[in-house]
Amino acid sequence: MTVAAAPDLDPATGFPAGLAQDLAAASLLLARRLHAGGTLWCASPAWPHHAQHVAVEFVHPVIVGKPALAAVALAAHQLTPTARANMSPGDVLIAIGPADDPGVLDLVRRAPAWGVTALWVGSGDRPPAGSADHVLWLPNDEMAAHDGRFILLYHLLWELAHVCLEHRGVLEPEPDCDGPVCITCSDEGRLAEVVSASGPTAQVRIDGVLEEADLALVGDVGVHDLLVVHAGMAITRLDAAGATRP
Amino acid sequence: MTTGSFLYPMLEDGERDPAALLADLARSAEAKAVESAQLRSTTLADRAQDLSRVAAAMASAISAGGRLFTFGNGGSATDAAGLAALFASPAAGRAVPARSLVADTAVLTALANDVGVEVVFARQLMAHARAGDIAVGLSTSGGSANVLRAFTEGRRRGMLTVGLAGYSGGAMATCPELDYCLAVDGQSVHRTQEAQSALAHALWELVQDLLGKLTRLDSEENR
Repeated sequence: MTVAAAPDLDPATGFPAGLAQDLAAASLLLARRLHAGGTLWCASPAWPHHAQHVAVEFVHPVIVGKPALAAVALAAHQLTPTARANMSPGDVLIAIGPADDPGVLDLVRRAPAWGVTALWVGSGDRPPAGSADHVLWLPNDEMAAHDGRFILLYHLLWELAHVCLEHRGVLEPEPDCDGPVCITCSDEGRLAEVVSASGPTAQVRIDGVLEEADLALVGDVGVHDLLVVHAGMAITRLDAAGATRP
Repeated sequence: MTTGSFLYPMLEDGERDPAALLADLARSAEAKAVESAQLRSTTLADRAQDLSRVAAAMASAISAGGRLFTFGNGGSATDAAGLAALFASPAAGRAVPARSLVADTAVLTALANDVGVEVVFARQLMAHARAGDIAVGLSTSGGSANVLRAFTEGRRRGMLTVGLAGYSGGAMATCPELDYCLAVDGQSVHRTQEAQSALAHALWELVQDLLGKLTRLDSEENR
């Protein structure tokens, strides 16, 4: 019942190094997506009440005068199919759960194919690097889900996102190609989710957009399989256990 | 570290470079985290005696077969659901019969639509509660009418009634139907909710400890 910090946490904030900066960056990203018309989808198979708390915070703010923002709590039942049917490119997912939560893992690994930005809030063992766009993590303590510290993390996301929304100048999205290398156009494999397959090609969803992919290198695929696609060619099939992104 | 207001003065309306904003946001996050940790810690310390009394009353009610019902509105509804889940399905420790009165949308909407939102918890207690059961209501303002009304119904049915509130208790602090009020003295709604959650968690831990001791005493007496 103490709020004592583990040795690698800042004793005053209870935060590990870098968490405040991660929260700031995640909040700006969230504000930009909401400003552009995106919806925040909240999912927590382990603790559904946390997903609902995030959603009600954004939709019906406790501070009078703050605008209502589009946020929805997803029920744990049929989580991935419901998310797939409802999420649109440009939306944001906030998943709350431990690093080994199969429901969260399935959502965050598919999010790039759907064009959805993923935030992951949790505690204990940290998910592998790159599992989500922003991993907001309290290490070494399973009780953070119950004693107010998770609530603090998503309260801060709400508070900081509203600050960003009051600074219109920073809300325009960063250009996709602002440097010598553009990820979208370069030699990089991209995550694709199979929408339908027939013979040698499949229709796949990449970053929320439907494209054709050649299956010559991977063979038969099933609907909702995840592939890595490079220049219209499916080059790898990701198995269900592999949570890594291309 | 300062915990003063953050006015983000360097950002003019036309400012497009987010670097200054991000640095300010990170400092703001840290300052708010410090406030939260301090309020959680002082609340637990200031309410230590009350927590022990409430935990003792709850543990003896549970040992005698009492069941826990939790309720609240909005964010407090989600905290009520979290508290019920902690009691009913803890990762470790003894599972206790506990559920939240906000879980069933059919019941909630039927009552809200047919009667009014002020009865959504009280009417459920009429249907379910027995003497010796426990009602735990959460309200950040301390003044939610349907939470107060549920305490009235709970008291009428012989329940142990416990309130978790912000703003030094609000109306809950003087509610005659309440056996115990655990209050947070916070100024911000968000920091108050975080401290309420810390109180709820501490309560669960204390009740678990007491239930463990009561079980050991029982088995020694029966030997």
